[in-house]
Amino acid sequence: MMEHIEYFIYIWPDLFKGLIVSLQLSVGALLLGLAIGLPMALMRTYGRGLVKTLAVMYIELIRGTPMIVQLFLIYYGLPDMGILLDRLPAAIIALGINSSAYQAEYFRGAILSIDEGQGLAAQALGMTKQQAIVNIILPQALRLVLPPWSNEVIYMVKYTSVAFLIAVPELMARGKMLISKTFKPLETLFWVGVIYVIVLSIIAKIVDMVERKLAIPGFQMSREDY
Amino acid sequence: MPKPILRIENLHKKFRDTEVLKGLSLTVYEGEVVVIIGPSGTGKSTLLRCINRLTEPDSGDIYLEEQKIEPGKSNFSQIRQQIGMVFQDFNLFNHLTAVQNVAIGPIKVKKMDKKKAYDLAMKELERVGMAEKAGNYPAELSGGQKQRVAIARALAMDPKIMLFDEPTSALDPELIGEVLEVMKDLANAGMTMMVVSHEMGFAREAADRIVFLEDGVVAEEGSPEKIFNNPERERTREFISKIARLNSGGDDRGLNNK
Repeated sequence: MMEHIEYFIYIWPDLFKGLIVSLQLSVGALLLGLAIGLPMALMRTYGRGLVKTLAVMYIELIRGTPMIVQLFLIYYGLPDMGILLDRLPAAIIALGINSSAYQAEYFRGAILSIDEGQGLAAQALGMTKQQAIVNIILPQALRLVLPPWSNEVIYMVKYTSVAFLIAVPELMARGKMLISKTFKPLETLFWVGVIYVIVLSIIAKIVDMVERKLAIPGFQMSREDY
Repeated sequence: MPKPILRIENLHKKFRDTEVLKGLSLTVYEGEVVVIIGPSGTGKSTLLRCINRLTEPDSGDIYLEEQKIEPGKSNFSQIRQQIGMVFQDFNLFNHLTAVQNVAIGPIKVKKMDKKKAYDLAMKELERVGMAEKAGNYPAELSGGQKQRVAIARALAMDPKIMLFDEPTSALDPELIGEVLEVMKDLANAGMTMMVVSHEMGFAREAADRIVFLEDGVVAEEGSPEKIFNNPERERTREFISKIARLNSGGDDRGLNNK
């Protein structure tokens, strides 16, 4: 038992550095995914003609290809076109683009679940369509999207581990490096797993608190129903 | 001669192959309360929705006072905000408290100062007897309370005319009275109103004119006494006696209401 703890204390500084990189990747990719995903959802829901088609194509293309392909395309493919990215930004962009397609669909689902009467009432007051979306539809849709969105957060933290394939020194990559140094794969991966579990439980707890804070009586499903 | 507030001329509306409105014309004068009755499917709700262009009519002209209501024109939102609308299923904004529901129109559409808008909202809530529930969310209110807040929300825009689309048909029988009381107060205060409703009591007491809609046109109109007691057309008489039966004996109304 003692030796396991000692081993953990020995590898912790390296794993901690990796964890920080993993969290940077997650936050960066989630924000990028949000910045692209929300407009895509609006374009797909309210857009017409070319705008809608573009959004549908983007979402289906991203969802229809493996994340690794997207990651390698951006890291190994773009330099051919003269765009050279560092490992970390390349990973953030790849993960962010991948996430944006899923986030777009979460947002679209939430927007569509808002009763049509909400928009009609807003327009009857004299709001433009844009005002109705911004002031009435989105504040409700964003609350409804929180439970599926929290799933995306948790997936994302785990998915950042694919970045080790382009040698981003995130948690999984650090573990891999430690294994080749210490020749202790089982112990190392055990502690890597423990760190993921603990961090993800904390994140789930935080999302839960945010949800409660934003909750409106009788509006969203309570967590217990979920 | 009273001033016309709303003029509808030769309104047509088709949904796919079904022609709902077939050249309907109607004028509502200032301070007048017009109650619209008629069998279901004759276009009562469609008529109201065409007035503020929530539904786009196929042809026909609608004027609010002297302004023509047309979409795409810069004054479109401006005209809409002068037409208050109350829906059958309330459509209160679920993420806002009662007072926020009332204040959001003046704030976002009229760009009113927030403090002023909330004062106004409280005043309108008082008017419908809902000031105590100002901080409650829609889910915490009964149907009748929701509809009263919805009326206050429309009033806060200071409309020239109020449209009511079956305002009590989604309510439990015991909650109908409180909403009708508010509407009667409004009528007495001189508000111009167009009400789609089969509440005979309200029509008798508050209406200046009853309009019987059938087959997409105005089939018959007149004072409540004339329409209820002495209609010209046989079809009107039949319809009146049918809803009279439904309305009678308050207690079993909920049971007969199929």
